Amino acid sequence: MTAATLTDAPTEPGLDPDTGKLGMWVFLASEVLFFGGLFVAYLYGRTHFPAGWAEGSRHTDVLLGTVNTAVLLTSSAAVALAVACEEDARQRRWTARLLALTAALGVAFLVLKGLEWHAEWREHLVPGPAFALHVAGAQQFFALYFVMTGLHGVHMICGIAALGVLARGRSRERAWARARQLEAAALYWHFVDVVWIFLYPLLYLVDRHG
Amino acid sequence: MAEARAATSGFARERRTIASAWVALLLLMLASLGSAYLRLGPGNMVAGLVIAGIKGAIVAWLFMRLRQAGALIRLAAVAGLGAWCLLLALSGVDYATRTLTPTPVQRPQQLLPAQAASEPR
Repeated sequence: MTAATLTDAPTEPGLDPDTGKLGMWVFLASEVLFFGGLFVAYLYGRTHFPAGWAEGSRHTDVLLGTVNTAVLLTSSAAVALAVACEEDARQRRWTARLLALTAALGVAFLVLKGLEWHAEWREHLVPGPAFALHVAGAQQFFALYFVMTGLHGVHMICGIAALGVLARGRSRERAWARARQLEAAALYWHFVDVVWIFLYPLLYLVDRHG
Repeated sequence: MAEARAATSGFARERRTIASAWVALLLLMLASLGSAYLRLGPGNMVAGLVIAGIKGAIVAWLFMRLRQAGALIRLAAVAGLGAWCLLLALSGVDYATRTLTPTPVQRPQQLLPAQAASEPR
């Protein structure tokens, strides 16, 4: 940040500007371990049941998965731009709109994910007695698929709510919707994006050439 | 006046960085998709994870601003990843060496569904 933008950014006296960011990074470190256990379970399944994992992955919707990846990457760029706008007094009018755009892209992601889940339900890909695939491990793959994408979806809902509230607060010039809060919320959103960046090849792209 | 000009050029630079990172992320996503349709054997998983790692690094470095962050924030950022790697290695001691043979406490009738599922139909 330049000296000029530092003077523009509203600050709270007596508070280190990095405090919020550091707090969010520590929280995100705990989130890495939260998702990390599921990634370990995935690794175990993929190495012990390669055929089931490949069969399961081939039954996911790669088109919707790819479109959703693009949507989420775009939303991350939008929220990064919102933070940059907030730091420059002449660009601040864009902040609330970019935050709203990010939240809208998050909603679009969840709608597409819901359509995908609905199709998988109809194709009997939800683990249970009527499960459609008869390869060892395929059921475990889909169990992990629903847990991982479901947990990611819960994080998305939290992020959408936070960004939506901040967009509304920023458009009304509320004191609690300033650069420090926006930056912490943006960090959370980027983390949710990074989790999906890893979920995409692990869930959708296994053995596609088979 | 000079400060205002510096702020504008700072914003323009930041906007350019974000746009470039966004384009790079989309191109890497397409590279990841394309690589999945090539017959690379174990290389498919490696390619997918390496590309995901590069994408994650771009997001962390440019969007999450680790490039501008101080040492304390960078330390907090790698702490979770480091702890996860440690736990992954420790878990591997069990899971990477475990065979699928049942444990002595499992009764034969308890194992029948699992055995039936593992037989090809």
